[in-house]
Amino acid sequence: MASFIEVHHVYFRYDDEETPGEYVLQDADLVIQKGEFVSIVGHNGCGKSTLAKHFNSIFLPETGDVLVDGLNTKDDDQLFAIRQKVGLVLQNPDNQIVAGIVEEDVAFGCENIGLPSGEIRERVDRALKAVGMYDYRTHSPDKLSGGQKQRIAIAGVIAMEPECIVLDEPTAMLDPQGRMEVLRTITDLNRTLGITIVLITHYMEEAVLSDRVLVMDSGKVIREGTPREIFSQVEFLKKHRLNVPQATELIYRLKGCGWEVPDCVLNEEECVQALLTLLKQTKGKGDQVCQ
Amino acid sequence: MSVIKAEGVTFVYGQGTPFQKTALDDVSFEMREGEFVGLIGHTGSGKSTLVQLLNGLLRPTKGKILIDGNDIWQNPKKIRQVRFKVGLVFQYPEYQLFEETVAKDIAFGPKNMGLPEDEVEKRVQKAARFVGLREELMEASPFELSGGEKRRAAIAGVIAMDPDVLILDEPTAGLDPLGRDALLDQIVSYHKVRRNTVLLVSHTMEDIARIADRIIVMSKGKNVLFDDTRKVFSQGEELEKIGLQVPQITKIMMMLRKNGFPVDSSVLSVEQGFQEIISCLSSD
Amino acid sequence: MVRDITLGQYLPGSSFVHRMDARSKILLLTASVVFIFLCFHFASLLIMTGFTFLVLLGTRISLMKYLKSLRGVLLVIVVTGLFQIFYGSGEPLFEWYFLKVTMNGLVSAAFIVVRISILMMISATLTYTTSPTDLTDALEWLMKPLKLVRVPVNDIAMMMTIALRFIPVLLEETDKIMNAQKARGADMESGNLFKRIKALVPVLIPLFVSAFRRAGDLATAMECRCYDSGAVRTRMKVMRFGWRDLCALLICLTVYAAVLCCGRWLPSVF
Repeated sequence: MASFIEVHHVYFRYDDEETPGEYVLQDADLVIQKGEFVSIVGHNGCGKSTLAKHFNSIFLPETGDVLVDGLNTKDDDQLFAIRQKVGLVLQNPDNQIVAGIVEEDVAFGCENIGLPSGEIRERVDRALKAVGMYDYRTHSPDKLSGGQKQRIAIAGVIAMEPECIVLDEPTAMLDPQGRMEVLRTITDLNRTLGITIVLITHYMEEAVLSDRVLVMDSGKVIREGTPREIFSQVEFLKKHRLNVPQATELIYRLKGCGWEVPDCVLNEEECVQALLTLLKQTKGKGDQVCQ
Repeated sequence: MSVIKAEGVTFVYGQGTPFQKTALDDVSFEMREGEFVGLIGHTGSGKSTLVQLLNGLLRPTKGKILIDGNDIWQNPKKIRQVRFKVGLVFQYPEYQLFEETVAKDIAFGPKNMGLPEDEVEKRVQKAARFVGLREELMEASPFELSGGEKRRAAIAGVIAMDPDVLILDEPTAGLDPLGRDALLDQIVSYHKVRRNTVLLVSHTMEDIARIADRIIVMSKGKNVLFDDTRKVFSQGEELEKIGLQVPQITKIMMMLRKNGFPVDSSVLSVEQGFQEIISCLSSD
Repeated sequence: MVRDITLGQYLPGSSFVHRMDARSKILLLTASVVFIFLCFHFASLLIMTGFTFLVLLGTRISLMKYLKSLRGVLLVIVVTGLFQIFYGSGEPLFEWYFLKVTMNGLVSAAFIVVRISILMMISATLTYTTSPTDLTDALEWLMKPLKLVRVPVNDIAMMMTIALRFIPVLLEETDKIMNAQKARGADMESGNLFKRIKALVPVLIPLFVSAFRRAGDLATAMECRCYDSGAVRTRMKVMRFGWRDLCALLICLTVYAAVLCCGRWLPSVF
């Protein structure tokens, strides 16, 4: 796989006239491969949203560089090229919808880059179908649910045919139903269209879906690995204000007492499988109980 | 003894307009003094309407809300008194902060109650301690606080009215896992000290399971279940039918039980689940 | 509830008038309003009234809707009507203290009432049959000449689009904040004017804070989608004049010509 986004030793702090402030990103260093589904997890204030805005030149590093498909985000001439390659979806669905009609909002980005109207039409229809909102194309966004609005926002980004979509806590304001819709949509985009996905979240249940998890704290990536590798380190995650699904925690605790279970399970099915195997094997041999 | 009671409450939005919609349909229940109740149901099930009816922000189209046995709409002019008795913390309450300092903002409710200055001061201090706001933040502008601190300040603003019933609508939405746990623990310890009735609306079943004594389940404008937490979550299939989940740990236990292992399927926390598995492993 | 207010009162449909180009609707409507004021004869007023009802029929929207649109200006109509009755010249039909009712007064009152009524109803057809976005696009096109004098027409149009999108959002937000403050015992329904204005502070401050927060977010989202206020934007929907617009134009020209003829050859009733 080829690298798509490279972040090299980036330091960043917010401008504040009176106090220069602390660095929000401190030596952030990471690589995102083409076509992969990465999640970046970390507690509120760890710098993950600030990092996301570096991926498409909304913020520029104070020191260090961010390269998108080989283009440096500091290069002013490449600004629009970079923003076409990397789309960004924000947390609050209401605040990123520009137009009062669904299809016109989806068209907004394409209109900005000066595409002919026939092509915009095609792209908008395709994007709306990809997120399953084609039937709502002439509706007003006001009457839609949070999950639907967030899918419209995603469609607006897809219509620009980016190679990568960065989603900054896209589900934080949604109910479970809306969260599921959005997650299904992005997993789908990754699998069928091969779009690189960077999902920023503090829900570990969502990180499970990705190929690779990056854990952030104090402005840098402190650990990375497959969901299985990361989730098996329950103590480490707790230390960094994160937690794991209940299934993972249960198996982790049994493992800690010396029971024969896998190192890590990611969901309830795996957990039940592990428990069934354990129960069948060790029924009646419960002397090694640890409370 | 029941503190708050709904009798056949129906609520219709925009009656007589093309937007007419029945949000609540003949809902009855009562909450007892000192209990911690969870309210679950998916978006559009009528939860938000219900909580606004309970503190008199909305008036039932049909039916009655009783507090200590009195109809709250008996004298519509006194409806403000009801809002002091039934405190309501809305979703994302930090968006209602407006005063120059955190202390002044928390004092807004008690001042509206017409309490004397020193009593207001006392309540502000107490409420801030309940939600764990540091002393030095009290004179800061609420807009300078971090997201989690703002949320606490806003909740303190309602707690300072010292309501007999405290309603919280998704108080942990948008917080990170640790912030979520810390805030819920604070609410639980407040409840332990104050011994008032708390109604917590949440989408996170794991949270509700951990702290509620009883649970109201809403679906399509009706309260379909109202029972002890364990009993509600032991009806996993019923809940799934109306599009709700049970906590993951409860689900795991239910699946084990289905496979013939005699575990208690009404466990609500990882700790309980762990003990259940251990005891199942040691018995034969 | 505040959020039930519908903006622009657009009533979706597929009638002849609905499917006309928004630009021709604006232009022809403006012209018609001028011609309504050029009616000084029974015949021309009759022609314009007939024309108005033809347009109303062409929208396939119930007449009740239009009558309701008059409700807002009912007071204006009644007051101006009464004013005219008593201010006519000529022989009084009857007198009561200083008030005189003359034939001339009655006629001009009737004229004024009919004029204002058809004016309001024909104006309503524009907002009833044109979506706010189409209106914005049409206005942007019609304002194009202003670019020559350096009016930022595109920016104005973008601002209108955003305003249309966010007014309902902010109305809903106002509703929420008001409820939240009422839940803390804020009293917004009683007291004198000064007290009521003061009671709005806890609503307005959070509303402004929220509007700024949203604006910041929106600016980022627009930047992410390559918005550049200086650049030339293309549009997905291209406005086109069609056969309906041509028909409408011909009908209107005939009507206007008839009105002009009345003015030329008939004596004014005033």
